[in-house]
Amino acid sequence: MVQETGTDLYSGVLRFYTLNDVRRYLKELLERYQKDYDKSSNVIGSLLRTEGGKGMEVIMSKGWAKVGSMFVNVSDPDKGGMEVTFQLVTEMKPRISKTEEVLKTFDSVEQLPVEANSTYLLYLHAGVPERLVIDSTVPPPENFAFKGEFATVQ
Amino acid sequence: MLEVSVMVEGIDATRLNDKATENATSNYSLNVSLSERDRSSEALVLSFSLELTSHPQAAKFKVTGSATLKGTKEEIKEGISAPDDNKPPPILLMIYERIYSTLYVLSGALKVPHPLPNLLKKSS
Repeated sequence: MVQETGTDLYSGVLRFYTLNDVRRYLKELLERYQKDYDKSSNVIGSLLRTEGGKGMEVIMSKGWAKVGSMFVNVSDPDKGGMEVTFQLVTEMKPRISKTEEVLKTFDSVEQLPVEANSTYLLYLHAGVPERLVIDSTVPPPENFAFKGEFATVQ
Repeated sequence: MLEVSVMVEGIDATRLNDKATENATSNYSLNVSLSERDRSSEALVLSFSLELTSHPQAAKFKVTGSATLKGTKEEIKEGISAPDDNKPPPILLMIYERIYSTLYVLSGALKVPHPLPNLLKKSS
């Protein structure tokens, strides 16, 4: 299997030890989504420019047939591929906007009164950050430090 | 599975004795310091400093850098915990293993005894 385009979307709960780590994670997430979006939308944009003036018909395939519970395209792979890429780009937009919005308003989360030594549970649904739990019951691990004296041996 | 990457950020190597040769007995003591630089839920970045001094004095090496451990919380904990009081934590062995070839080449260039490849904790 080779991934042609798109984004791996995480659903689950991540624990962070500082709010700064949460912010950094969200920033990296947004950058990754933006990069994937640009890559896919450039493919569509370039095709629309090449086929100038023809509009959406150049990416809408008529070769789809319903087979079982899935649509399958056997007769028009170029347009079929473009159409699914277009669908992907359309789905990416709200994910980017939501993540952008969360990051933009993250200051207000950072201003909340939080007990020292709290940790943070971030819930992501299909790649979108939806909830944050400030957990004062599970402290971050203690800072690791080690000093020792050794001898080199055979 | 725990993934470890080691980045050397500084090396200082000094020949301390004119009469030292590569063939002399190579007893080195090693002072180690590891400290946490950054931590996330799936990674821990440590700063390290390793100072090796040969006995009798022929050479001194100091290597500093960072080691990144990536894995689950349990794997990371296992990586930094010494199995018993006389053994170094696994991460220290990994760091020493990764920088050993550099130390070997440097000691050869300085014409001083080569450090040996394994570590044993000194009794206090």
